Amino acid sequence: MSMYNYVFRRVGFMAVTLFFVTLIAFAVTNILPGDVALLILGPNATEQSLEALQTQLGLNRPLYVQYIDWVVGLLQGNMGESLRFGEPVAQLIAERLPRSMMLAVAATLVAVVLSVPLGVYAAVNQNEAPDVSASMFAFVGISMPIFLWGLVFILVFAVWLNLFPTGGYVSPSEDLVGSLTRLVLPAGAMGFALTAYIMRMTRSSMLEVLSEEYINLARAKGMSQRVIVLRHALKNAIIPVITVIAFQFSYAFGGVVVLEEVFFWPGIGRLTLTAIQSRDIPLIQGCILVVALIYMFSNFAADLLYAYFDPRIRYGGDD
Amino acid sequence: MSAPTTATDAEADDGPLLDVRGLRTEFRTEGGPIVASNEVSFSLDRGETMGLVGESGAGKSVTARSLMRLIDSPGEITGGQVVFNGEDLLQKTEAEMRDIRGNRIAMIPQDPMSSLNPVMTVGEQITETIRRHQVVSKSEARRLAIESMDDVGIPDAEERIDDYPHEFSGGMRQRVLVAIGFSCEPDLIIADEPTTALDVTTQAKILDLLNEMQEREGTAVLMITHNLGVVAQTCDHVGVMYAGNLVETAELGDLFDRPRHPYTRALIDSIPEVDTDYDELPTLDGAMPDLGNLPSGCNFAPRCPHATEACRTGGDPSLDAVGDDSSRAACLHAADLDLSESTVPEAGTGRRDIDRSGQPLFEVRNLKKYFNAGEGVFGNVHLSWEGGGLPTVERRHVKAVDDVSFDVYPGETVGLVGESGCGKSTVARTALRLLEPTDGEVYFEGQPLHELGSSEIRSLRREMQMIFQDPQSSLNPRKTVGQIVGRAMEKHGIATGEEKRERVGGLLERVGLSRAAASKYPHEFSGGQQQRVAIAHALAVEPKLIVCDEPVSALDVSVQAQILNLLNEIQEDENISFLFISHNIGVIRHICDRVAVMYLGKIAEFGSIEQVFSPPFHPYTESLLSAVPHANPDRETDRILLEGSVPSPINPPSGCPFQTRCPKKIGDVCEQDLPELEAVDGGDHYISCHLSEEEMSQRDSFITPSKRAETSPADSD
Ligand SMILES: Nc1ncnc2c1ncn2[C@@H]1O[C@H](COP(=O)(O)OP(=O)(O)OP(=O)(O)O)[C@@H](O)[C@H]1O
Ligand code: SF4
Ligand code: SF4
Ligand SMILES: [Mg+2]
Repeated sequence: MSMYNYVFRRVGFMAVTLFFVTLIAFAVTNILPGDVALLILGPNATEQSLEALQTQLGLNRPLYVQYIDWVVGLLQGNMGESLRFGEPVAQLIAERLPRSMMLAVAATLVAVVLSVPLGVYAAVNQNEAPDVSASMFAFVGISMPIFLWGLVFILVFAVWLNLFPTGGYVSPSEDLVGSLTRLVLPAGAMGFALTAYIMRMTRSSMLEVLSEEYINLARAKGMSQRVIVLRHALKNAIIPVITVIAFQFSYAFGGVVVLEEVFFWPGIGRLTLTAIQSRDIPLIQGCILVVALIYMFSNFAADLLYAYFDPRIRYGGDD
Repeated sequence: MSAPTTATDAEADDGPLLDVRGLRTEFRTEGGPIVASNEVSFSLDRGETMGLVGESGAGKSVTARSLMRLIDSPGEITGGQVVFNGEDLLQKTEAEMRDIRGNRIAMIPQDPMSSLNPVMTVGEQITETIRRHQVVSKSEARRLAIESMDDVGIPDAEERIDDYPHEFSGGMRQRVLVAIGFSCEPDLIIADEPTTALDVTTQAKILDLLNEMQEREGTAVLMITHNLGVVAQTCDHVGVMYAGNLVETAELGDLFDRPRHPYTRALIDSIPEVDTDYDELPTLDGAMPDLGNLPSGCNFAPRCPHATEACRTGGDPSLDAVGDDSSRAACLHAADLDLSESTVPEAGTGRRDIDRSGQPLFEVRNLKKYFNAGEGVFGNVHLSWEGGGLPTVERRHVKAVDDVSFDVYPGETVGLVGESGCGKSTVARTALRLLEPTDGEVYFEGQPLHELGSSEIRSLRREMQMIFQDPQSSLNPRKTVGQIVGRAMEKHGIATGEEKRERVGGLLERVGLSRAAASKYPHEFSGGQQQRVAIAHALAVEPKLIVCDEPVSALDVSVQAQILNLLNEIQEDENISFLFISHNIGVIRHICDRVAVMYLGKIAEFGSIEQVFSPPFHPYTESLLSAVPHANPDRETDRILLEGSVPSPINPPSGCPFQTRCPKKIGDVCEQDLPELEAVDGGDHYISCHLSEEEMSQRDSFITPSKRAETSPADSD
């Protein structure tokens, strides 16, 4: 199996998955309680005006027609118009998505930079003081939900130490420094919470690799500890960690939804919440679709990276 | 170069290359300290090969790793000296040791599959060793690496140097490891079971390669192995280890002719000889004691036929010179004992007569099993981009079993032998419908298994049991042995309640365990005992056929013989049939009535043991049998070394599957026509080859009875 075959197959599977996602997104929004027309017009609306609006929105057509209509629109790049904002959904999402991305990427970066070296360090000093303290540090990270860490970070670094602003968003193109200072706390809080998992994965993966025969042989060849850890072991150990990192990135994206509330960060998380609160069906559908796409692509990226790092997959090995 | 070779070379002229004195290595465990290497002393001269043999857990590997100071916590070298080139390695700093490892002392590890780093090219793994120890440029190191790959016989080294380990076969990977070992022209190579993971034919080639490299470079080799055949073939002198102690050292010839320690005698005797028929295979009874719980006195006393009161009460006997040769033995009575004669009774009743006039118990006809190449539903869909334009889609198969036919009669043992990957296990699993066959017919007592539904199959399962290589994985770890064996009886409605308990007890005794074993858990038993439990489990449902898939491959030689004897005994009592899968030719020789030799999913030869081990030979059978190392240093070897490696079953060669490696290949006919499996010497001996009977009969039988001293082939791995 060549790399082409591999990518080809993965893209095929993604297309199938995407189809199911559209089905689910559509189904979920249509079984949500609450009549959209009623929500828009308010409780005092008359029977006729409600019906007129439903006709206008196409809500009284059969479900499958509505679905096909929606998918055809999607294929043409048209995600519909938000009921609440009266703007195209695509535009609303396009505006907020990069902000959420920035937050999720920064958080993942923080997590990786903290956790991979920690995991390696812990594995190399297995069961000794550095290992125990690194594990404790990581354990503290997952001991609380992300939004609580957000509050703690605000309290400590913004309110007490007054180092960073408590929240808000500034576009990096307008004010780079201001933007970054506002990024530090939410990214730090989320990254910290993500550290534990990646660190533990790195540690156990490293431990497993360090007991492999080829590590033994590397020592028997006279290689130094540094070369063994960095050249021989880490390159192998990082392979499963990459999947976890990609998974954590998707997870970070989920965390963003909550954290954006805490830090007043106008990203896709807050957009989704608003959409759900106001039963803005096209917007909800759009948000679900985009988030699902991001999940899928980060996992796809993980697999490609995995294949890149593991020559046995890259060239389709026998094992 | 970081190590001052010239200085040490000069120094070493007046002493052995390696002089180990009183080496002691301990492991701290929960149950107290374990001494895996206890006051071990031996020496090794330049260019010499020393073998280190002994049962599993005797401390061979620990001793070898101690020489390189590669012992990890919780292990520790607690005493002795390792004088190498005149300097005590135990006094060196870790940094100095790193300059010696891979440079002056190199290691060739056991398992070629796991000893190379999967994410580094083989070139990187060779050059990093060179660049670690020699001051050379990158391109120079690369040139040297290509040269060393050439030296170890890797074809197209220049192209293959940037390939990853998984792109090489097992034998080729072992060659890469040999190349790494020799890359800095070390004075000493430690080879820890360098061929144990390999097939006989590959093993023979690697041993030849090692010999050749050693002669060319004048390297000394410490060869660790449990295979006395390998020792006889490669070593100048030998050390025997038992329970952490070196119990005998001797010149190779002396060791086999005049062993001085009863353990050495027993070890040699426990190897089944190919040219002798036994009533029972010779065994070495009992097991090596747990290193954490050694008997007082001589460690071998519980198993020693010569043990006296003095042996049991004194301390460890010390390794002292015995006799007028250079042998040393750690035995109180070494001087008085004459162990030069084998203790194995040579008489044997020979083979049973199997009545093959009636209906076979089990019959396999034209069985095929193709696997999808690759994983998942579309795993075998292969896009080919060759030829430009649109890619073409094809489905690819691994033809694991391709048109196999044989039969098993009541009370008979039929063997399947062949190199790894030839499809032995798949034949068994498919025939029992543990896997769905792709095509073909299977009959059990005349019933067509291939047509039966799954519920009918399930009720027939009782008649057909299976025993696997790894008993641990087939026994539920959370159930007691009594529950495991009893459950099988209940499931098939054989016995319940008190009767069941009674039967379980009887069965456990039958397989050589005590009744009390019923209340223990599988992990409380040794590998050999677990295999006995697995046998009891199979016998519980009173089957007519037991399929044994490499049942003794994971066991030590001594335990192996015990299990084989048990199987033989059971067969005689219960008239059970066995389908016996093994890659070990010595074992096949002694347990089977008839044997099928498999190559690349097909049967190359089928017949009785006498027929297959005597001419006419299929060329593959001939090379396979000739490659078995004989545990007799005096024996002339006339081995046929096969070129290349087994082709991929995804893309098997056209015509005869063996044609890519066959030393007797005729020409086009072999490349174009698949030879039929045809009867030769007028009867029930079948060979699939285009050669004439005469051309296949140019070699003598491998089992012609002759004097033991002249021919004693064996395969003890
Ligand atoms: N890391 C360890 N911790 C505890 N005990 C160990 C460790 N490594 C080895 N031992 C013990 O040391 C003893 C000798 O082991 P060693 O591997 O040297 O045996 P061996 O002769 O090489 O056996 P084999 O033929 O199976 O390779 C065994 O009892 C083993 O359990
Ligand atoms: S010392 Fe005694 S028990 Fe030990 S090997 Fe010699 S005779 Fe046997
Ligand atoms: S058919 Fe030809 S290639 Fe095959 S085994 Fe016979 S001689 Fe060799
Ligand atoms: Mg070993």
